[in-house]
Amino acid sequence: MMWLSGGFIFRKGNSAYHRLDPRVKLLISALLFTATLLVRSIFELALVIAFAMAISATARVLRRVGRTMLLTATFSAFIFVVNILFTRNLETSAVYAIRFIAIVVSTSLFFITASPDELEQVMKTFRLPRDVVFAFVTAVRFIPVMMLDTLQIMDAQKSRGLELEKGNLLRRVRNMIPVLIPLVVNSVIRSGELAEAMESRAYGAVARPTSLVEYRARGADKAVALAAVLLFAIGVYSFYFVLPTYLP
Amino acid sequence: MIEFSDVTFVHQNGLKALDKVNLEVQQGETIAIVGENGAGKTTLVKHVTGLLKPTSGTVTVKGTETTKASTAQLSRTVGIAFQNPDHQLFSESVHDEIAFALRNFGFSPQLVENRVTWGLELFGLEEYRDSSPLVLSGGEKKRLTLACILAWDPDVVILDEPTVGQDAIQKERLAGTIKQLGSAGKTIVVVSHDIEFLWPIQPRVVVMRSGRIVADGPASSLMLERKMLEEARVSQPQLVTFYQELARRPRAPFVDPLEVVRWVS
Repeated sequence: MMWLSGGFIFRKGNSAYHRLDPRVKLLISALLFTATLLVRSIFELALVIAFAMAISATARVLRRVGRTMLLTATFSAFIFVVNILFTRNLETSAVYAIRFIAIVVSTSLFFITASPDELEQVMKTFRLPRDVVFAFVTAVRFIPVMMLDTLQIMDAQKSRGLELEKGNLLRRVRNMIPVLIPLVVNSVIRSGELAEAMESRAYGAVARPTSLVEYRARGADKAVALAAVLLFAIGVYSFYFVLPTYLP
Repeated sequence: MIEFSDVTFVHQNGLKALDKVNLEVQQGETIAIVGENGAGKTTLVKHVTGLLKPTSGTVTVKGTETTKASTAQLSRTVGIAFQNPDHQLFSESVHDEIAFALRNFGFSPQLVENRVTWGLELFGLEEYRDSSPLVLSGGEKKRLTLACILAWDPDVVILDEPTVGQDAIQKERLAGTIKQLGSAGKTIVVVSHDIEFLWPIQPRVVVMRSGRIVADGPASSLMLERKMLEEARVSQPQLVTFYQELARRPRAPFVDPLEVVRWVS
């Protein structure tokens, strides 16, 4: 589980992609995300995913994105089954299922290459309220901690004879109650303690605090952003006006 | 009772947490595992419960290889109380919290009631019987987790940092309970940094460092080896340090510190 979840968590990297301005990384992920919503066939979706994988390879996070895909595949299979039951259309169901994978891959590409600090700066550039930014970034920052908590709680309950993998689906869901309650309680306690710790360190004392880091886009960042927008425009044009003439 | 044979454990990130560990624990033995943070103490005990499986080597508990049994199966023999009580408390009442494992193991309702009452009395929690475990103080929660484990009477009891958040009186009571369980033939494994707590219990001490066992022996002699303890970042009991310093003086009243330590113990 921890191995799979690693596909969503930021780790320091030294690739050219990691060094990009976080706003450019967000732009690329946003464009990939939009592309997945605009495309209409399996082939087009495969192209978008291939492009995302190529970026992942450049950022040297291909393996971790692969893990993200593996984890997403379970939910994707569920989407496929539900759609095939209701639409009875194999291609439409497959498009929805693959689109879900593509959406997760495009967003995880940003989260695993942008540190929580970068995420904070990006959100600040959009002039979002400071408290909202802080709450969101803290939530992201605590994902690995909660993952670890979950594993420790599962260990503690398994040691008391709880068999999480035993029984039918309903029983398995019920078996998760002893894991979920301590997890939620711990999170609430931790958030309260964090709030107190922040306030005791003067959080909120100044209406407009200064920032140590201020991002300024370099030439390379601007070039990558421009290339990304151009590629997106060419891609969308091709999907709507060029590819349909070649595909059946 | 517990046997580690050439056990190596490597985490998924490639970190070697245990390195060719060999350890044999007899039934009825009380053993303390000490060492600096990250020495591999918790990793070691998680192998006894089957929560972790060795990368190489074998761990057997009461003749059963841990790779061939689930944690739920092993937990009938091995009870482990983890460091953070908040990681296991979830029931509506203290009573239900203790009864949780007993019901998982299929104890009869009458036996569940008897064992719950015994656990509540042992750890002075009777007044909280119907309270939510979440409203207890840190020390009470810790005692509750111990009651939860001891309630099903496992052959092996593992306590991971049992003194965290406990006041002096509770520590004394806990040390007494450990001695009592030892006398009753239970195998007890205590993972702790609290040397002053361990000293009166006089357990067999296993010192770990970087995933290896660097020393293994009775507390009365091992705690005299100040240099080894310092290297493993384990503090010496104050009493031992005091008598060792005293013995160095020219007109020391005691010449053999080991003899003194045995006498004081």
